[in-house]
Amino acid sequence: MEKSLRRNCCSGHFPIGKFFLIFTSRVKFRLQVLMAITTGFFRKPSISCFVPAYAWSNLGSGNQKVWYQVKFIDNAKIVEVASDILTLDMVHKYRIKEMELSFTQGRWSYDSWGGFDPIASSNAKPPGVELWAVFDVPPDQVDASWKNLTHTLSGLFCASINFLESSTTYSAPDWSFRSLSGNLRYGLLPREAVCTENLTPWLKLLPCRDKSGLSLLMNRPSIYNGFYHSQRLHLTSDEFDPVALHGIVLEQTLTIVLQPDALDTRASFSSSRKLQPSWSMSSLFGKTVDGKCALAKSSNVYVQLEGSLVYNMKDTWNNIEGYEGEIVQEVPYEGFGSNSNFGFSISPDRMMKEINSFHKESYSILYGFSINNYHSSKPFDLGFWWKLPVTWSCVKAPLRVSRFLMGSGNEKGAIALSLQSTEWSQSLLEADKNKEKCNLRVDVFQVVPWYIKVYYHTTKIFVDGMPQALGDIIEKMNVSPSEDKVSPGVMEMILRLPCDMKSASLTLEFDKGFLHIDEYPPDANQGFDIPSAIISYPDFQTSLQYKEDNTSIKTPMVSKMQDRRTILSYTEVLLVPLTTPDFSMPYNVITITCTVFALYFGSLLNALRRRVNEEERLLKSKDKRTSKLQLLLSKFLAKLRGKPWEPPSSTPPSSSSKFISSKVILRVLLIAAIAFGWQYYDK
Amino acid sequence: MAEISQTMGTESSSSEENRKENSESSNFDIKIMRKTKPGSKRLILTLTVFFSFLLGLPWLLKSIEIYRSPLPFRDIDSLSNAIDSIPFVFPCKFHVVFVNFDHSTSVKPNAENLGFLVSSYMSQYADRNSICGTCDGNYTVSVSLDIGDDCVEYEDANRGISWKCGALSEFNFDQIAEDDEVFDNYLQSVVGWSRVYTAVVVNTGKGDRTRAVVGKYRHAWIVGRVTEINLLAETVAEMFMKIFVSGAKDEGNIQGEFMPVGADGKIVLSFNLLNADPRDWVYDWDFREVDEKLLAPALEALGPIANISVESQVLYHTPKSSYSYWDDEQESHIFSTKDLPFFVNSNEWHLDTSIAAGGRSKILQFVVYVPSANECPLRLQLPNGEISVTNGFISPTWGGVVVFNPPNCLENANSMHPLRHKISPQELNHIFEVFMGQLRQLFGLKSTGFYKGALGTSILLDSERGFTEWELDALARQHACYNLQQCGTTLGSLSRLVQSLPRMIIKDEIGKQVKFSLEAAKLAQNNASQGIYDASAVSSRHARSLAEDAFFHPSVMSISYYSFEHMFAVYSPFFLPLSLHVILAVVREIKRYKQESRKYAAWEAIRKQHSD
Repeated sequence: MEKSLRRNCCSGHFPIGKFFLIFTSRVKFRLQVLMAITTGFFRKPSISCFVPAYAWSNLGSGNQKVWYQVKFIDNAKIVEVASDILTLDMVHKYRIKEMELSFTQGRWSYDSWGGFDPIASSNAKPPGVELWAVFDVPPDQVDASWKNLTHTLSGLFCASINFLESSTTYSAPDWSFRSLSGNLRYGLLPREAVCTENLTPWLKLLPCRDKSGLSLLMNRPSIYNGFYHSQRLHLTSDEFDPVALHGIVLEQTLTIVLQPDALDTRASFSSSRKLQPSWSMSSLFGKTVDGKCALAKSSNVYVQLEGSLVYNMKDTWNNIEGYEGEIVQEVPYEGFGSNSNFGFSISPDRMMKEINSFHKESYSILYGFSINNYHSSKPFDLGFWWKLPVTWSCVKAPLRVSRFLMGSGNEKGAIALSLQSTEWSQSLLEADKNKEKCNLRVDVFQVVPWYIKVYYHTTKIFVDGMPQALGDIIEKMNVSPSEDKVSPGVMEMILRLPCDMKSASLTLEFDKGFLHIDEYPPDANQGFDIPSAIISYPDFQTSLQYKEDNTSIKTPMVSKMQDRRTILSYTEVLLVPLTTPDFSMPYNVITITCTVFALYFGSLLNALRRRVNEEERLLKSKDKRTSKLQLLLSKFLAKLRGKPWEPPSSTPPSSSSKFISSKVILRVLLIAAIAFGWQYYDK
Repeated sequence: MAEISQTMGTESSSSEENRKENSESSNFDIKIMRKTKPGSKRLILTLTVFFSFLLGLPWLLKSIEIYRSPLPFRDIDSLSNAIDSIPFVFPCKFHVVFVNFDHSTSVKPNAENLGFLVSSYMSQYADRNSICGTCDGNYTVSVSLDIGDDCVEYEDANRGISWKCGALSEFNFDQIAEDDEVFDNYLQSVVGWSRVYTAVVVNTGKGDRTRAVVGKYRHAWIVGRVTEINLLAETVAEMFMKIFVSGAKDEGNIQGEFMPVGADGKIVLSFNLLNADPRDWVYDWDFREVDEKLLAPALEALGPIANISVESQVLYHTPKSSYSYWDDEQESHIFSTKDLPFFVNSNEWHLDTSIAAGGRSKILQFVVYVPSANECPLRLQLPNGEISVTNGFISPTWGGVVVFNPPNCLENANSMHPLRHKISPQELNHIFEVFMGQLRQLFGLKSTGFYKGALGTSILLDSERGFTEWELDALARQHACYNLQQCGTTLGSLSRLVQSLPRMIIKDEIGKQVKFSLEAAKLAQNNASQGIYDASAVSSRHARSLAEDAFFHPSVMSISYYSFEHMFAVYSPFFLPLSLHVILAVVREIKRYKQESRKYAAWEAIRKQHSD
């Protein structure tokens, strides 16, 4: 991961982070702290509002998850902010209803970083570039709009999004990607390297860019040294509706997973268990925040303690139990040194508790910090440290999904999609025991490039290792096979899996196609990427409802978490090696065939034309003549050698052979001289 | 083989012949003679192969031919030659009206000569290095005399020009000095909308000097006591040539390549409000109102010259990159003209956010710079030490900058929370007036309200549209001429490029664009010769943008041309060895045939001798 990052990004300029050197600990940290920093930019209170948010969390392996979110709403007709020009131009030119563009480096680890929370389901993105857009144009113009849009975005974000222009790279999912998607186009570029040149235009869309406010934390070296980062741009517009409610809403999100500096001076607490690494903003980013962006209405930072973490800490929190049900500020800080598991360097401004938790016994807690009153002489630098070792695990997605390739050789293979149950689906089983038959609905959406010729009739489904009839499991299936050099193969599927299964897998066989020599990308031997598949669980929706201390202040961050979202996860990108030709082959082939043809033709012509008898006669007469010449030559050579001349009749063959060999040597020397001269003068 | 068997056959013939032939064979030399005719089978064979190759060559070349849309090279050449050789000259019509010249003055007897006088002065004033888009030598001057009841017209074959006699008789000329606007509109109602430039000379007989005013339409007037008729004619001629024809431009005006119009005939006016440091104060504006009230009329007026679109944005954290110093005397921060090249901070001013930035349109940036608290108020010092009134500057082909100092900026510094303001409509009006002046300057027009000529100063009236009719005419002429020149050069280069790369693919689309471009150019020339300036500007714009489209067509830019070297590399392995074989065979066979024919001829000669 680090290696690939350094190769892909121009991070030679950056100091190499020491996070990775320290990250050797195998202790399973089970900590999930969500830290959300929210800023509300209010430029024109009545007309438009600009709402960013920042989230970050300590993850399973002690990594930090950072989530920066910006929301921008505008229904003013005249362009005002930099982002306005872009969005208005784009929305009006291409008539975009909704659009999402994400740049991601690294793969979201659904197991250790969580797969069942709003962040994972909305901000975990496949590696590379993902773009989808819904257009408000007649169906026959959608493709043209899409092509123009890809070119525009490509120029704006300094990325090769224009490769999505080709009809072989994008698809039009019917119902599996988003329900009710009429004029939707979806494209993925798995091999796009994401770096600062993509982040800078993204930051340009913020009013304060990275000059002040929370975006000051976007220090390039620390962002790009992380395990995962994903920048997202989401645009919705109801401009073309007769009743426009919001106008254009632009939402920008940056999600980062960082490894905190584990150098902890307080670590010598327990000999058996290690403490989780402590962190602070300055240690994670190397920067602090000196006040909010002047254009922001408010700026807030949130730290979220995940439900399971709170549950695990309850042993040491017994004394707080009494306060449950009412919001008491600074509860964990009164008995700071004695019974609390952790501490903040700054006391939080408010605390919120989840109300409709899925697991009744555990609820997550959100601590809010307002940075409105900080300024350059008093910078905001939130720190967090652990007092007691705690372990917990993130809430995982209903199924653990992985996709891999089977088979060997360059001719054919198979794609396998493996779904394994997690403890989550086990609990689901217990919950639904009473029902007659418990089903788990899984939607699969997969796009395969045309040169991977998938045979959809070879679809096989195994549940717990036993092959199953397709009709029992597949509820709905929509397949559009690939067309060579025209369109990719798209597969949409609804699976109904029994809840009590341990594992299920789905395999599809394919043949590898041949590309035209012009179609191979540079470095074709690296292999070809099959974009991530999307696995979604429409039965499950995630939302975090918080009981707020002051309902009048409803921050965008919290309301964002309350949105109900379908759980979805992206699979791995597959790397398929294809047979790559020797790229000088055409010329070799041309040369060889032409030479063979020329030889054939020449000899045929000669055979037709030559007079064998006559030539033989000529040769004989020549022999007589040359023998005289040879006599003279041998005399001359004998004189040169200083030997008495002998009549050649005794040893004519030997002398002639010697003569020939010297001639050959002479020729070789001549050729060498020419070659040397050529080399010399050619320089 | 055939020959040998033949000779064998003849040798084994009858004994009589044998005897005879023995005598012949006594002087028969096998090296120089032969008894049979040389066979032609091999010769025919090799020649057939050789000629079939020669015949096949055109067919091969045809089969590997690449598609080239036929371009009208001759038309392109004739267009560029026409543009280069004949300067693009528009016809201009002038009309001089003399009012209230009674019989005492020497005007009436000279009425016929007056037109000639004015035109002779005009040719003196004509620019020697004829700038593109003038009416050099292609003008007509007509003269009318209006003496209340008596009208004399000296017509120069102009039907369209007429002057209503006594039209100004009811007008009180004492008022003229007070209200030029009223008289301008009154004159317009008299003259009407024609494409004739009119100069009205009114002799009031009062005062001691004349007063020259140029209206916002296509006419001017000179009022006062007129004594010397030659001087008057010269003044009128100067007015015609310097103001109406050349557009009253400043010296060292903006020429051809600095025209602020993009190659596709579009201009994007990007208005930016830059808050240098939003921690001190945040300024906002109501751009829509400005756009509707102030910009829209001007942009409509400029419609024939360019397709103009407007966009605006507010940017924050945009400090300037030059220094300023505190001046106690002025009580303000001063930046001088020598700092101007460094004022625009291209690192922090992200002005080019629009989609148009990628195209060939010209983007003119207009920047309102709101300084931060520690450099407020910020004022521009001119080289002569004075403080600039407009507090702004232009950069040709880039745009203009205006510094807007927040009122009372010294007082509300150091506030904890930034104050949000809106630039008031009055301030905004002032700023956009400056911008309008800057836009006029970017187009090469004067931003001051008077023209200082050799023979006195003329007052130039402003139009509420920002551009007067005669200025627009001058701009349209200039742009039409420049666009056609560009179109000619672009098409010329395209044709040269296409002809120099015989193996370059040319798509039909390019051929179509070239064709349409030539048509538009022809239309522009026609319109120009008829004196319809704005239509000429529009079609010349189309011609140029089509020519540029053809030249920058992606298929031309790509490397998809199939070079001769490539073809050579592909075909030489086959044809080179083969042609060697074929040619050598032909040469040898012909040589041999000649040699053998000679041998046969020699034997024939001997045989004839013996038979005789």
